Amino acid sequence: MERTQHIVRIATETGLLVLLGPLVTGYVQKLKARLQCRRGASLLQPYRDLAKLLRKGTVRSDTATPFFRAVPALVLAATVTAATMLPVLWAPSGPALLPVGDSILLLGLLALARFLLAIGALDAGGAFGGMVASREMTVGLLVEPALMLAVFSVAVAAGTTDLGELAARRDSLAALSWQAPDLLALFGMLILALAETGRIPVDNPDTHLELTMLHEGMLLEHSGPGLACIALATHVKQLVTLTLVATLFFPPGLARGLAPPEIALALGAFAAKVLLLATFLAVVESSYAKLRFFRVPQFLGLGLVSAFLALALRVL
Amino acid sequence: MTVELATRLIDVLGALLLFTMLVILASGQLFRAIYAVALQAVFLGIAGAVLAAATGNPDLWVIAGITIVVKAFVLPWLLIRVVRTVQISREIEPAIPMTLTLIAASGIVVLAFHLNASLGPVRQTITGNALPVGVTLILIGVLVMASRRKALVQMVGLFASENGIFFTAMAISQGMPLIIEIGVILDVVLGALVMGILVLRVRSSVDTDIADLESLKG
Amino acid sequence: MDGQPPLTRIVVWLGHLLVLAGALGGAAFALSVLAGGAAAPPHLALPRLFPFAEMSLSVDGLSAFFLVVVALVTAAAAIYGPSYLGAHAKAPVLQTFALAAFVACMALVCCAGDAMTFLLAWEGMTLASWVLVVSDPREENARAGLLYLVMAHAGTAALLVVFLTLADHAQAFDFAALRSAARGLDGRTRTALFMLALAGFGAKAGVVPLHVWLPKAHPAAPSHVSALMSGVMLKIALYGIFRFGFDLLAPASGPLPASWGWTVLLLGSASAVIGVLLALQQHDLKRLLAYHSVENVGIILIGAGLAMVLGGGRGPQPLATLALAAALLHTLNHAAFKGLLFLGAGSVLARTGIRNMEELGGLARRMPWTAWLFLLGAIAISALPPLNGFVSEWMTFQALLLGGVRLGGASGLLAGVAASMLALTGGLAAACFAKAFGVTFLGRPRSSHAEHARESPAPMIAGMALLALACIALGLAPGFAMPLFDRPTAELLGGLGASAVVTARGPLVLTAGGPVNGLEATAISMTVAAALFALLAAAAWVVSGWPREAPRRLAPTWTCGMTPTARFDYTATAFAKPLRLIFAAVYRPRRQIERETGPSPYVLRRLAYTGEVVDLAETMIYARVKHWVNATAQEIREYSTGRIHGYIGFVLVTLTVALLVFARP
Repeated sequence: MERTQHIVRIATETGLLVLLGPLVTGYVQKLKARLQCRRGASLLQPYRDLAKLLRKGTVRSDTATPFFRAVPALVLAATVTAATMLPVLWAPSGPALLPVGDSILLLGLLALARFLLAIGALDAGGAFGGMVASREMTVGLLVEPALMLAVFSVAVAAGTTDLGELAARRDSLAALSWQAPDLLALFGMLILALAETGRIPVDNPDTHLELTMLHEGMLLEHSGPGLACIALATHVKQLVTLTLVATLFFPPGLARGLAPPEIALALGAFAAKVLLLATFLAVVESSYAKLRFFRVPQFLGLGLVSAFLALALRVL
Repeated sequence: MTVELATRLIDVLGALLLFTMLVILASGQLFRAIYAVALQAVFLGIAGAVLAAATGNPDLWVIAGITIVVKAFVLPWLLIRVVRTVQISREIEPAIPMTLTLIAASGIVVLAFHLNASLGPVRQTITGNALPVGVTLILIGVLVMASRRKALVQMVGLFASENGIFFTAMAISQGMPLIIEIGVILDVVLGALVMGILVLRVRSSVDTDIADLESLKG
Repeated sequence: MDGQPPLTRIVVWLGHLLVLAGALGGAAFALSVLAGGAAAPPHLALPRLFPFAEMSLSVDGLSAFFLVVVALVTAAAAIYGPSYLGAHAKAPVLQTFALAAFVACMALVCCAGDAMTFLLAWEGMTLASWVLVVSDPREENARAGLLYLVMAHAGTAALLVVFLTLADHAQAFDFAALRSAARGLDGRTRTALFMLALAGFGAKAGVVPLHVWLPKAHPAAPSHVSALMSGVMLKIALYGIFRFGFDLLAPASGPLPASWGWTVLLLGSASAVIGVLLALQQHDLKRLLAYHSVENVGIILIGAGLAMVLGGGRGPQPLATLALAAALLHTLNHAAFKGLLFLGAGSVLARTGIRNMEELGGLARRMPWTAWLFLLGAIAISALPPLNGFVSEWMTFQALLLGGVRLGGASGLLAGVAASMLALTGGLAAACFAKAFGVTFLGRPRSSHAEHARESPAPMIAGMALLALACIALGLAPGFAMPLFDRPTAELLGGLGASAVVTARGPLVLTAGGPVNGLEATAISMTVAAALFALLAAAAWVVSGWPREAPRRLAPTWTCGMTPTARFDYTATAFAKPLRLIFAAVYRPRRQIERETGPSPYVLRRLAYTGEVVDLAETMIYARVKHWVNATAQEIREYSTGRIHGYIGFVLVTLTVALLVFARP
């Protein structure tokens, strides 16, 4: 009985993340537009784009292997599986019943999605695919050690890398437990979140110039429903990253039971945290220019040092 | 304000000061470094105010006020004016590779915190991480001065190191005697003025590279 | 094998079948030992070859586990071998014999119960593999073989010193006597012996900076032998480190000295990062795989070092067991996926004759089985879920976090840094294999050899498939393999066996601390994650394939309107360039561009690009040592007078000195 309840909870949370992913992107686009004194597209535009892509036909490169057709589905599956690991509305009141919630597994699944996209980009051949795959894998590997350090610095205090447990253990002392290492780890994570979500100053998600693309370039050869899958995966990945930051650093607000007022409060807390972080993304995108690719390691180095200092301060 | 709450706030402010220090170290543009050091001075002023409220020392209120006015507004304004007048390039060129400076900074932080135990016997009004953070700020400020070529960035490093000295002093004792605090601030202002004049006069090329001074050797 | 005379073919096939049978038999025996619980290890006395030493075989938990590792890759290599040797192999019968001798010696090293058996088998292993390394008579292979012999014997010399010192104390050679003799040593001698053993075994295992021979020797051997060398022989060297560190040299009670564990951990982290960084810049497929072996040996040593640090009571016991189980699991995993990758590279080499991936490309459509099995191996080695590489890295991460970092202080910070290095190597490996797989198998063929490649014969695919199945099984259901580690971990560390710690919640769930309070919260289930992944992929596939009336068509890849050719595809050098620039301090890359222009400087006629990335260990250490040795040898040569009297006088002086030294009261 409890196990079924747990499964239903996980399914609800994942469904929520998948459904709200495009909305968060829409919000960021709208806010960016307003900051740039434009009206901007509607908040629901990403949904319309997805629906349009699903109806379109597919054009495939003649050098691509049959594996290429499977890449969008696999990437979406990996990202959504990563999304199941996050506690969105509920934090467990005892040891997790189902072992779905580890942060290292989450990071591994996101890395799998990136790897598969890069393979797909190389599959079609041509210079753009190779160039963009090389850049994306480079940025990915610069982000990983810093992410690990930031997650560790939070997990050390809580004694576990399971995200639900982590949120549950920190929740009770949330207001009083913010210390210097948390702040440094948060700053580091915010820098890394910009890289993981592919936003300025690491990557420009609105560009149409292939030479300036990091993430977008891997989507060049996909079309139709395949592109819809990958676009949805991108939205979900962004929301997953923001929810990860929220879980690690702003745990209060998670519900324990099924009472409707608790759930409404949890939903409101989640919305507030995500909106706050999305606003951060939009403001940073409107305030800075994209860095030259070979300046990105320096920028990410700042995130790495921040995360390292967070761990050092926590441990020493 | 209880001592506990003050300790916690100083802790958080220490983290913010550390982060702004990192931004100064890792920034590639002059303006970013200047804004960061101004922000640092604001945090320092707030820390001074917190300490003043916790210990009841009126001198600290004065110091906090002077810090905010002089080091968060006047000196950065001076620096920005010099940058705009001389029209030097805004990029900061490191003398040693950025990776090395970041590693050195990490090493300094680890060292300071590791040696915290043996620095313990020093009397502290507010315990916690304030002393190691202060030592770190001083050393990283000097690191910024040692690893950058431009004169203006070295000024920024000096200001940052200065902030570190203030923070350490505030954390250990009840702040330095007021007259010494004012004296130190005047020293810094004087240094800024001298540097500003020097930069404005030594305008032979587009930007001022300290290494160029070597060519003055007889 | 079609071009060879029928007798040769029969002998080669029979030989390989015998090896296969031996592997299967050995695996069965080893599994029975591992399932034996706390029963006494089987002991077999061997005939005395030397009057002063009894020789014996003794198979305890650790030996049995490594036998399983040997058997797994040997079985695959034996199935793969005959077809690979093909029509052009030089001396296939000799190679078969050498292969059989090689595998037998490796098994003997694992099972050795005394120092003489160990050393004899160790030497036999080196010699047999040397024969295989130089079996293809080319100059670079000869040089690689020479370097291999020199490094191997330098390592063996260190081992000899350790064994003989212990035997001197014990007045006997068998392991039981050596163990009790080591109990009586003082701390400093013990540590010195361990460091010497670490150096000796490290030279064979390819630990930085003693790894230089590895990327030269491993690619020179035939591919199934490379798989055995990388997948198994390096593990035998690690077996030696485990045996000495945890068993022979261990103090009677209490934790191992802290310096041992931290040295091993730091060496492991350095090997892991440097190995994969150097691998990224290689374009020879087999050299790339050889450097990755250096990386994975480093990862295993991280787990082993952590187990040494946490064991004996310094940290929570379940976490020491977790660390050791992670190291042992990675040993098995690496054997499986490295074997698979080398067999895949061999398949490409056999069909195209090219090792340089810059001349390949487009092979996925021409050799589909090889390509997709290679992709499986690539995902496994990049530590991506849901395959086995991720499982052992997850366990290592948990041990580092819950055990290492929670120690606090500077050691905790070191453990945290090691964890971030581990994460970095995972990312670097993924980038490297995206390059290796993408440039070799995807895109358009860059040479006529690649264009006319065909799929490899069935036995080669079968060998690869065996290892691929092992990767998938260990990835989806690793809990079922945990009982394999019960006996080794219980014997080496005491306390609970691995399965009690890791599969405390059943075989489908991996926990980080098992029964210790609070530590059982961290858990993953690879099976559930993989099932979710498969379910979601199927759902996405169905949904995206739904609008059937939408048109589908093929078109050439967009290359700004030009007709795409193979020259448009990104090269491996270009793929690795960002990392070459970012890690320039480690690579010290040199590049030279020569331009030949026509009448105007804007008309480029020819462009010659030369780029070089050197292994820093080679230039800074080996070149200097070689130079010094040569110079010293030249100087000594000056003293050979060429006259008989000089030499006899030299003998007289030596004898007198020996008398003085040994006859002192």
